[in-house]
Amino acid sequence: MGYVLEGAQAALALLLAPGLVGLVRWMKARLQNRRGAPVWQPYRELGKLFRKEVVVSSTASWLFRAAPFVVFASAVAVTFLVPILAVPLPFDGVGDLLVVVYLLLLGTFFLSLAGLDPGSPFGGMGASREMTVAALAEPTIALAIFALALGAGSTNLGQIVARTMADPGAALSPGHLLAFGALFIVTLAETGRLPIDNPATHLELTMIHEAMVLEYSGRYLALIEWAAAVKLLIFFSLLGNLFVPWGVSVAFTPAAVAVAVASLLAKLVVLAGAVALLETRIAKLRLFRVPELLSASFVLALLAVTSSFLLR
Amino acid sequence: MESVFSQLCVLGSSLVLIFGLILLWRRGVTAYINAFLWQSTVLSGVTATVGYFGHDPELYWVAGGLFLLKGVAIPRLLRRMERRFAAERELEPYVNTATSLVVSGLLVLFGYAITRPLVALSQLPTRAGMPLAMGLVLVSLFVVLSRKKALTQVIGFLMLENGLALLAVLGTYGIPLIVELGVFLDVLMGFLVMQIFIYQIHETFESIDVEQLNRLRH
Repeated sequence: MGYVLEGAQAALALLLAPGLVGLVRWMKARLQNRRGAPVWQPYRELGKLFRKEVVVSSTASWLFRAAPFVVFASAVAVTFLVPILAVPLPFDGVGDLLVVVYLLLLGTFFLSLAGLDPGSPFGGMGASREMTVAALAEPTIALAIFALALGAGSTNLGQIVARTMADPGAALSPGHLLAFGALFIVTLAETGRLPIDNPATHLELTMIHEAMVLEYSGRYLALIEWAAAVKLLIFFSLLGNLFVPWGVSVAFTPAAVAVAVASLLAKLVVLAGAVALLETRIAKLRLFRVPELLSASFVLALLAVTSSFLLR
Repeated sequence: MESVFSQLCVLGSSLVLIFGLILLWRRGVTAYINAFLWQSTVLSGVTATVGYFGHDPELYWVAGGLFLLKGVAIPRLLRRMERRFAAERELEPYVNTATSLVVSGLLVLFGYAITRPLVALSQLPTRAGMPLAMGLVLVSLFVVLSRKKALTQVIGFLMLENGLALLAVLGTYGIPLIVELGVFLDVLMGFLVMQIFIYQIHETFESIDVEQLNRLRH
């Protein structure tokens, strides 16, 4: 039964992810007084890309062809390990928080390699920027979740969720709130949103994620775009379920799972609204100020760990 | 009841500390003034909370005075200064932003380390907030040391005072009202003196960069 639910959770994540990206875009458009593309637009784009021909640069090696599959597979693997719908899951024993962080980093690493591989200057530029951001953001993710892990006494994501549900008062403790702030900033950085990276443009001076995938086309591009969407969904569900775990199913009954799906959707909509509002309100940071923002989030995570550690 | 009280205190102290960190991350004077305003508002909220749970009605007066002085009066004076010096942003502090933030994180850890005996001895439900108040005192000192513009240093000093006030409220449930009023007057006087200094520095050097004071050695 648990395995069925696990599979359903991963499938749901894959199916919902493009819709989530579409939802953020649509909300942004509405906030800016534009009509905006419908929420299911990313699905159409993926379908179109999957049907299109693949054009590969003659200087590209096997790495370039392998990278989309690695990126996508690592994102799918993470959906099996993150408590999106239910806890505890049978795969909880396979991977905890550290595995999740490193799987995400594996995808980032291969994407950067693929950006360097065809030898276009944009790809190299994007790869170096992505590595800068990742090197600063990854420790913060680990630290922020460690702050929660200290409270729960385990680095297992399922355990953390279960503990927070058992002790609702902990959700308002400063450790939790600071960790939430830190993880939110890192989410923006890792998924290439404003103020770190603008997902809507292909302006040479500012792009990070787009620069790396500039050479891709056809089904490769579709896989990478899809993986990016899944990554966004993973971060959103981490934010939603680690800090506000109510609604996550603890029993494997149909009713509980239905509640879990509904609450997940509600959390995603709220977070998407928050991100859309933020992206409408603020401008992109200068690239040289990005490390400063990320060090600010690192300090928040550090304070979160400190207060969790000392207030146990 | 006790647990709600201590949660609220820690939450308030955390917010007060975070508003102090904004001083290191932002660059515009407007953002500093807003951070100080909100910090003072939260501080007066914490004071009122301690008054409510500690059954000490005097603290309500202190909270009101805090709010009027640091949430209304001083921000207004600061805004008047901002109109003159807004162009002078903190662009090149002695310590760059990223390093400053990491240093401030370490300073808060240090604050935890030095208040450890205090927290271990204390039986008060407010004790968990004390390290954060100490951290704010240290971070504000660091702001005063590492920034070049006189106005930033003044706001750093005001936040230092906020940290001390928070420490006093959390550690002792408030000092007598008369002492508190004396402290308020001291802060106001100190602030006015600093204001005069800043205007004088600006008169002399046409900038409020304290680096310029080195030219006085000739």
